[in-house]
Amino acid sequence: MTALKRLLRPWRGLLLPVLLLGAWELASRQGASQAYAFVPLARIGDGLLELLASGELWLSVAASLQRTCLGLLAGVCGGFAFGALMASSPLAERLLGPLYHALRQVPILGLIPLLALWFGSGEFTKVLIVSLAAFYPMALNAFEGFRNVETRYREVGRLYGLTPLQRFTQVNLPGALPSLSTGLLQALAFAWVSSVGCELFLSTGLGLGNLMMNAETGSRMEVVVIGVLCVGLLGYAMNLLFSRVSQRLLRWRAPRPGDSR
Amino acid sequence: MTAILNPRLVGAELPQPGALAIRGLNKAYRIDGRPLPVLQGIDLQVLPGEFVSIVGTSGCGKSSLLRLIVGLEREYDGQILLDGEPVRGPRLDCGLVFQDHRLFPWKTVWDNVALALKHQRLSRREKAERVDEHLALVGLTGFERAYPHQLSGGMAQRAAIARALITRPKVLLLDEPFGALDALTRIRLQAELQRIWAQQRSTMIMVTHDVEEALYLGDRVIVMEPRPGRIRHEVQVDLPHPRERNAPRLQNLRDELLRELTGD
Ligand SMILES: Nc1ncnc2c1ncn2[C@@H]1O[C@H](COP(=O)(O)OP(=O)(O)OP(=O)(O)O)[C@@H](O)[C@H]1O
Ligand SMILES: [Mg+2]
Repeated sequence: MTALKRLLRPWRGLLLPVLLLGAWELASRQGASQAYAFVPLARIGDGLLELLASGELWLSVAASLQRTCLGLLAGVCGGFAFGALMASSPLAERLLGPLYHALRQVPILGLIPLLALWFGSGEFTKVLIVSLAAFYPMALNAFEGFRNVETRYREVGRLYGLTPLQRFTQVNLPGALPSLSTGLLQALAFAWVSSVGCELFLSTGLGLGNLMMNAETGSRMEVVVIGVLCVGLLGYAMNLLFSRVSQRLLRWRAPRPGDSR
Repeated sequence: MTAILNPRLVGAELPQPGALAIRGLNKAYRIDGRPLPVLQGIDLQVLPGEFVSIVGTSGCGKSSLLRLIVGLEREYDGQILLDGEPVRGPRLDCGLVFQDHRLFPWKTVWDNVALALKHQRLSRREKAERVDEHLALVGLTGFERAYPHQLSGGMAQRAAIARALITRPKVLLLDEPFGALDALTRIRLQAELQRIWAQQRSTMIMVTHDVEEALYLGDRVIVMEPRPGRIRHEVQVDLPHPRERNAPRLQNLRDELLRELTGD
């Protein structure tokens, strides 16, 4: 009994999705109109094979991922520098803080019409949107992280005569690391969502969002479902990867409730 | 447990004399915009190589005094001179063991101790040797790779002592360094500290709540009284080192100190 339990343990997370799939299939068999809204699993499978064979899915995934990575890189670097600057200089905080906090309130997708007007609806605008989405949470968490490094530890750095660079690498950076890693995880989530989101609004180019929009106009609901699944699974995988990395970097922390192992 | 310091390393650079002169020192913290006097009219002369113990009730400003001497507090009235020079900020030749251990949680024990050597021009091997030696001295061999959260309070405090000793400052301030230790470890580390003190001829000022410890180690014991913190009494311990723990003279002085502390 306990052996069986241990065997099943890693698969616990799959229980709910499998149940949902069953319910979905059941719903699709309730009549023609239901079969349009809940595409039968068999049709989804066929659609998936077709998309894989034509290479369309790969191209879309690659385009979305590439945009996310570029935007994430730019946004995270920018947010890190911005947050660090605001944390280290009261003047910078007073000058930049209000603007930052006001702009932060505007949903990124609400900025799309303006940005499209200024920069066109091409790849540059999309990457800009993604990097903005990553910038806000990263900047906020970097700011709080650096700001909240305990004076107790800064004093140790002063006592042992660390140079400014050493203080940064030995005290401030590791002290801010928990917050930085939270910022990175949030930035990733926002970047991915806004990457697909902006494809829904700006219909030129490639990407999972475009794939889904085109499928909707062509009434191919199975492709829409495949798109949704891909977005969810890829986002989940990236999140898992990043949290593993951050757990490794933060292994010096006392284990806290909710940590896996 | 009984680690012997490598004499070649220890003798390498004998610290210069560390004379401390404090005159008319006043310190006030601001709480809610109102000044709260913490230290008032402190006058204290410490000779090079002297061991001074400070005792006093909780909150009478002992930690504040050490923070001022080491240069972590800039705002004060009066004079603090280290070898004739006013203290303007932390200096490498003046060390402090904080009341809380203040190990960096993100560094292993070994790296925490090695951090103190960041500014010293030593080869990698010499540094490693010194760190290992000082960890052995405080009985932490085998815990080099542990993170602070994996240590007990006493172990963390011992690591902090190793970190302070490794730079061989000419003035070493210790803020209740043995507070978290069991009686046995405490006695052993007291002896080690005394040995290091005698060997390096450094000046040491130690805050403690343990009157016997203060008398056993100190050439002089300062009694402070609170609100605002002042020096109330001073006891010369005119016995040569190393001392007999239960020497009758120490017993008498202990009674005198306890009477001072409880206040009549
Ligand atoms: N940063 C600070 N800001 C305001 N007040 C402070 C600060 N640090 C200490 N004080 C005050 O100064 C007084 C003396 O504090 P201090 O830590 O020097 O006492 P202490 O003698 O070391 O006590 P203990 O034996 O409990 O360690 C206390 O009343 C405390 O409230
Ligand atoms: Mg104190």
